[in-house]
Amino acid sequence: MPNIVVCYKWVLDEQDIKINPANLALDTSRAKYKISEYDRNAIEEAVLQAEKSGASVVCLTFGTSTAKQSLKDALSRGPEKAYWINDAAAEKADAFVTSNVLVAALRKVGDYDIIICGEGSADTYGQQVGPRVATLLDIPVITFVTEMKIEGNKVIATRKIGDCTEVVTVQIPVVITVLPEVNKPRIPSLKQVLGAAKKPVTEWKIADLGLNMEDTEPKNNVKSIKGFVMSRKNVIYKEGTPAEKVTSLVANLTKEGAL
Amino acid sequence: MAGIWVYSEDTNIAQQLLTLGGELADKTQQQVCAVTIFEQDAQELIASGADKVFVLKGDSAWPESYAQAVADLASKESPMAVFIGATLRGKDLAAKVAARLKTGLVTDAFSVRYEDGAIETDRMMYGGLAVCTEVLRGIGLATIPPRTYDVPVKDNSRTGEIVKVNVAVEAAVAVGNVCPIVRQGADIATAEKLVCIGRGVGKKEDLLLAQNLAAVLGAEIGCTRSIAEDYHWLPNENYIGLSGQKVKPSLYLSMGVSGQIQHVAGIRDSKIIVAIDTNENAPIFAAADYGIVGDLYQIVPLLTEALK
Ligand SMILES: Cc1cc2nc3c(=O)[nH]c(=O)nc-3n(C[C@H](O)[C@H](O)[C@H](O)COP(=O)(O)OP(=O)(O)OC[C@H]3O[C@@H](n4cnc5c(N)ncnc54)[C@H](O)[C@@H]3O)c2cc1C
Repeated sequence: MPNIVVCYKWVLDEQDIKINPANLALDTSRAKYKISEYDRNAIEEAVLQAEKSGASVVCLTFGTSTAKQSLKDALSRGPEKAYWINDAAAEKADAFVTSNVLVAALRKVGDYDIIICGEGSADTYGQQVGPRVATLLDIPVITFVTEMKIEGNKVIATRKIGDCTEVVTVQIPVVITVLPEVNKPRIPSLKQVLGAAKKPVTEWKIADLGLNMEDTEPKNNVKSIKGFVMSRKNVIYKEGTPAEKVTSLVANLTKEGAL
Repeated sequence: MAGIWVYSEDTNIAQQLLTLGGELADKTQQQVCAVTIFEQDAQELIASGADKVFVLKGDSAWPESYAQAVADLASKESPMAVFIGATLRGKDLAAKVAARLKTGLVTDAFSVRYEDGAIETDRMMYGGLAVCTEVLRGIGLATIPPRTYDVPVKDNSRTGEIVKVNVAVEAAVAVGNVCPIVRQGADIATAEKLVCIGRGVGKKEDLLLAQNLAAVLGAEIGCTRSIAEDYHWLPNENYIGLSGQKVKPSLYLSMGVSGQIQHVAGIRDSKIIVAIDTNENAPIFAAADYGIVGDLYQIVPLLTEALK
């Protein structure tokens, strides 16, 4: 009966982020947080696999104090227990730091056979943490998985890799990163939400994990994060009949040589 | 630290990266080196600008299993930067290389330059809402999306050094049943004109509206993620955006696409963007050159007729 650990990230909902047109600074003051979309697929997959194989599922997240709100949400989706590395360092962590922290925590959790991650996070979409974690643990990783099956001590996964699909077999322990097509995350029922409050949560600080200073310092130097501006003509036809709008559009596209 | 390196399991993409490699190598007075697992392509990489080609010789046909070998070679030779083609395989490999080298990695850099003595990259964040500029440290690693740079003009008279390196490859993984995904249409990533459908198109039969318009325009048909992944009306290769295809057509025309940031991230390089949507506040209009606020069921047949 394999033990599954599923990792997720608590991220700002990009739909709530505003850009200040004067200096292109990001205004996140009204932004809410969410469990990164692909990680919802990861949690769902871990739980589906557990339902099939009798495995146990715990979830693991590295986040700032804001991630406290995530625990109930994650647990209501099915995991039995949550591990939370609650540290302000998460705010500035890059994939180097995140994977060091997750690996140290996984070692402390101890029993892991299958680690499931989303393919990338909704904020940075770096697509690195899964393969980095596997490399640091010195175990294989199967990325971009659309289907998986546990057979004894093996995982057989189908990955979708651009112009082909591959069926890959590995012995556990293994890291799996899933694509959104792998499943449709459930919407937790009220009972599951209420039940989540009773599930255990273990909270650690980075200091509890025995990492060196340099393992927790981001590698590249972020010089700026600025709103992306798109300069487009924005000629929008709102008034007039459909035929008039079409005539104006065709006239302009002809003038542009676009047709 | 010496050398600007490029790697891709796709030699055409490796050649595109040599355009970037060459630029940076000139600015920093260094060699540009290609790392490849295909010995037969070494000469071609030299013709495309590599001064040196490292050929990794291992007994695996699976590109991902060369991550350790690329990392070992990089830690021995200490290049200033390694640019890796951002295919899915490339991203997998790059993350493993970064973990072994204990370094940072920029995913999907869309712009790279040499400034104040260091390499700087730009990449998207928050689904394309923001741009993050980073200064690379140590051995700088970045993955670069296909078609970000053009393939350099080949010069078959160029000479360069070819270094063969015997490497051990990861063997923990058994790969079986490799199935090509058969494209049902043209490759939308390279299409000259695109008609894109979103959830505003109410039923699968109404795809005909898009097909008729595409036929008079000579365009291919793309879609939003919802259409491919939730409705399965078109294959996954046809959805455009951050996690789908990045497109660069001369004309992109959408109908019933709201223009969420993740979709817009894939159409930014289009020359002209046209949108048709009933909701005048749909974000797609802010990303469009021309837009019609209206019902696509009225507008598209009229437009198709007008273009005939
Ligand atoms: C991490 C992440 C990655 C993602 N990656 C991608 C990606 O790569 N590509 C992608 O496309 N999406 C992606 N998405 C999803 C994206 O956020 C949107 O949900 C999606 O693009 C919306 O698709 P849509 O425009 O078809 O649908 P909707 O947002 O539902 O928009 C439908 C539009 O149709 C209009 N409409 C309705 N009826 C009519 C009519 N009769 N005539 C004209 N207009 C009409 C409506 O006004 C509306 O604007 C991603 C999301 C996340 C979180």
